[in-house]
Amino acid sequence: MSKTQYPRRRFLKTGAAAAAAVGLGFPMVGRAQAKTIKVGMPTILSGRVAMLGTSSRNAVMTEVEKFNAAGGLGGRTIEMVIRDSKGQPQEAARVARELVNTDGCEVIFDCEASSGAFAVHEVARDLGVLCLHNISETSALTADPKNRIPNAFRTARQGIHDSIAGGSYAAGVAKAKGIKRWMTCSPDYAYGRDTTAEFVEYLKHFMPEAEVVGEAWPKLFQPDYTEVVTKIVQTKPQALYSCLWGGDLTSFIDQGNLYGLFQASEIFAVNMADYTTLTVVKNLPRGIHSGNRYIKTFPKTGANAAWGDAYRAKYNEYPTNWSWESALGMQFLTEAMKKVNSADGKKIAEALRGMKVQTPFGADGTVTMRAEDQTVVGYAVGWGTTIPGEPYVPEVTAGDWNLILRLEAEWKKRKGFG
Amino acid sequence: MRRDTLRDLAVAVIAWAALMVFPSIYESKFAIDFVIRMAAFGIFAASLNLLVGVTGMVSFGHGMFFATGAYGFGLLMQKAAISIPLAMLLTVGASALVALVVGAICVRLKEIYFAFLTLAFQMLLHSLIVAWVPLTGGDQGLTGGLPRPVFLGIDLAKQSHLYGFSATLLVAMLLVLRHLAETPFGYTLRLIRDNPERAHFLGVKVFWMRLAAFVAAGSIASVGGIIMALFVSGAFPEFANWTMSGEAIFMIMLGGSTVFLGPIAGTAILLVLNDFVTRLTEHYGLTLGLIILLFTLGLRKGLLDFIADAIARRRERAGQGG
Amino acid sequence: MDFATLANCLGSPACVVTQATSGLIIGMLLFLVAAGLTLIFGVLKVINFTHGAFYMLGAYFAYSIFRVTDSYTLAVIGAALGVGLFGLVFERLFMSRVYGSNVLMQLLVCYSFILILDDAVKLIWGPEFKSMGMPPTFMRPPLFIAGGVVPPFYLFLIGVTCFIGIVLWLVIGRTRFGKIIRAAAHNPGMVSALGLNTEMIYGLVFALGGLLAGLAGGLAAPVRSMVSGMGFSILIESFIVTVIGGMGSIIGAFVAAILLGLTRSFGSLGFPLFVDGAMFLIMALVLVIKPSGLFGKEA
Repeated sequence: MSKTQYPRRRFLKTGAAAAAAVGLGFPMVGRAQAKTIKVGMPTILSGRVAMLGTSSRNAVMTEVEKFNAAGGLGGRTIEMVIRDSKGQPQEAARVARELVNTDGCEVIFDCEASSGAFAVHEVARDLGVLCLHNISETSALTADPKNRIPNAFRTARQGIHDSIAGGSYAAGVAKAKGIKRWMTCSPDYAYGRDTTAEFVEYLKHFMPEAEVVGEAWPKLFQPDYTEVVTKIVQTKPQALYSCLWGGDLTSFIDQGNLYGLFQASEIFAVNMADYTTLTVVKNLPRGIHSGNRYIKTFPKTGANAAWGDAYRAKYNEYPTNWSWESALGMQFLTEAMKKVNSADGKKIAEALRGMKVQTPFGADGTVTMRAEDQTVVGYAVGWGTTIPGEPYVPEVTAGDWNLILRLEAEWKKRKGFG
Repeated sequence: MRRDTLRDLAVAVIAWAALMVFPSIYESKFAIDFVIRMAAFGIFAASLNLLVGVTGMVSFGHGMFFATGAYGFGLLMQKAAISIPLAMLLTVGASALVALVVGAICVRLKEIYFAFLTLAFQMLLHSLIVAWVPLTGGDQGLTGGLPRPVFLGIDLAKQSHLYGFSATLLVAMLLVLRHLAETPFGYTLRLIRDNPERAHFLGVKVFWMRLAAFVAAGSIASVGGIIMALFVSGAFPEFANWTMSGEAIFMIMLGGSTVFLGPIAGTAILLVLNDFVTRLTEHYGLTLGLIILLFTLGLRKGLLDFIADAIARRRERAGQGG
Repeated sequence: MDFATLANCLGSPACVVTQATSGLIIGMLLFLVAAGLTLIFGVLKVINFTHGAFYMLGAYFAYSIFRVTDSYTLAVIGAALGVGLFGLVFERLFMSRVYGSNVLMQLLVCYSFILILDDAVKLIWGPEFKSMGMPPTFMRPPLFIAGGVVPPFYLFLIGVTCFIGIVLWLVIGRTRFGKIIRAAAHNPGMVSALGLNTEMIYGLVFALGGLLAGLAGGLAAPVRSMVSGMGFSILIESFIVTVIGGMGSIIGAFVAAILLGLTRSFGSLGFPLFVDGAMFLIMALVLVIKPSGLFGKEA
């Protein structure tokens, strides 16, 4: 369990102060001589995806403590106000508004997923406040012109990038091993459908002979995968692609093991290389191809390993994909603030466009915030095979960003995103 | 009867005026957002009470009309270039139609079976919304925001205008529900609630009355959905999830199902608790759960019902003593 | 819709065996949970919305006991007894206070407990999902029966749940305790007038229901990951089973659970996108045609 006293104390203080303020009728906005820069973070801290919020918070607090310890912004420290939306999009919208309107937050550091992120996006559009989306991987959030607003940025990975890298890697393996018959098994919701469709598209782009002979679409958080597993057993594909994640992937592996699924086909599981799954699954099959959610061994740099170790030492658990994305987001925010020496949202947004940061999570040690659609590129994307013990994924083949960017541009045109 | 109607009207006008004047006296963006949400959920819960409290029909699927309201309005505003009042009219009409069809199948069932069938219909709607991605955006919801063209000088893109609009709708819908409940129509519904066989023998067309109540409740609930769609500038499949129906039931239970304003009180209680607990602690479930538990075990009925009963008992005792 | 695949499967014994076993396993675990739910409703006329949380507790208890003792048997027994005890306490201290009130008030009590338990589980075991792992006894390759694939662990589960089902049926049908429970369901006033402690009966019924749910949670623990809030989907499914089978009927729960299990497993071949929809549709049809369910008594 992670240590949560530090943010909770802040929370309680802020909460009590806010409650008192509301009770006494003094608006919190525009307090004169405010010393701290308040950053509001709507996220999910309860329910099935509580891990998202807790691991993001851990990573964010580490970055914030570093920033504050180094003097902050000319003496002004960052104060995080983290609030739980319980995964309900209307709560996410309400919390985001409350953070800005009542708690005086100058930035929305959005750590909501899928529909929650879109709800917060509309709040950012409405209020014009600076907003960083750190978790949502839905390409449409930044690619679709109708969602483009000057004050919103995404510091998370994008589904389309992962799919291009995955398709290219998988085609390479398939060609080497003579694999033509594929099957997919992914959760039946936007992320599952889009990611799978894009993977298949790029698999066929690199290897036109590949053929999808069957699909399975279990429901998200479905406890029982037996009928899905037996369907795969009946179809006998040479390779199986899945973007199941977290507890679902764990259950799927446990139940698939009973049927010998992982010896029968070559498995490509995008979300396998995440420590939460790697450390939890008791009988981890060998040789599963996986994309990198967060793995200490990729990028194979001292900085990345050090960041992972430091997180593990402080919080007694491994970092997640959400952890590095949130850390990256806070890195962008603090560096942009320092660059313009201001906490003003518009100035920070100006600085963010096109900004390049040195970071352990960059494919070449850097990540860039692309100006045209305000989303990050150049982060570490790669695939490797698993072993049932540390370091879990010893060798990772890096994705080629030139290839990714070229194909992404074509994809955007095809989708009418211009 | 006429005097009561005038009294209700007077109370409504005073309440409305107070709500409209309030932001000028006390400036708080939090209060403005709170009232808008109160309107959305309050209309939803109060409409459900027409079924639960007045007619004795417990519906577990009322959220389906909240969703038809939000999605209907959201889709019309995004795809068709029509005015907000027209979109609202069409949305409420469409919800009424859905209520008619669903109600015709459901209302002949008794009690718990009625509850489960309405739930089944709601879950079917939920599956439909999530599956029909090209139309509804699937589980991401309607993204891109809702256009809000100005009508009659009201610009709903401004939160202050949305506040006035929602407050007006809240008072208006409550008046409509009050009228339905306090007229022969409402009395017949109560008769059906208390003794359906007797009502039948008295010549009441029980099925049609129940259906009428169902359609009325569904149509009014969709107005709540419209307000929510405006608040979040979109619509999400969570609105069609049965947890939304559950929230409405809890609001009625917390506030009371017998006293007319019970559901509104319950909405206020639940929203205040929700907002406060979320700010103060991350252990939302534990805290809120304990509070609700103590509340239910302590009062064993909705707050306004509890107060009303206490007052009635005191009057009785005073009557007996004197 | 892929009826060709479904037809092909029905023609091949290997496929039928594989799909039938998977349908049975889904159904049997569902039966255990639904049996508890239907029993509580049958006797107490209470819809136990906390039932999904009971299942969750069973899974977590089993996980912890297995971590400490490395024994699957102890883990399952511990889970069953632990949740049974919890069910008893829950009924005596909380549910019994709201029997006289509106049924929706009981729902509110259950809901508050779901909130509390989901958070408690997150606090005690942590927010990340957990997996118990397969006990070494069952780490074997699958069996091949008539060409169909059948994991030994699933055969074990089907056997155990069948056994429990039979025991339950015998207890309710043949023992004195079962007679008392059935009598209390039929006419609590008379049972009380005969000098029996109805309160204790109610408590024991809730304990039994909880025991069954906890047992299911523990039995399934090796193959299903656990996380706070996992009870939700189990709850919905067991409701559908109870409604289709008839509230208060254990035979009904059994038949409905198997029906749903087979629908899921063969449906995933024939109509993979409508499996969930099919379940709600069947429930809707039953409610419209015979609301009391396949084996329910007309109220």
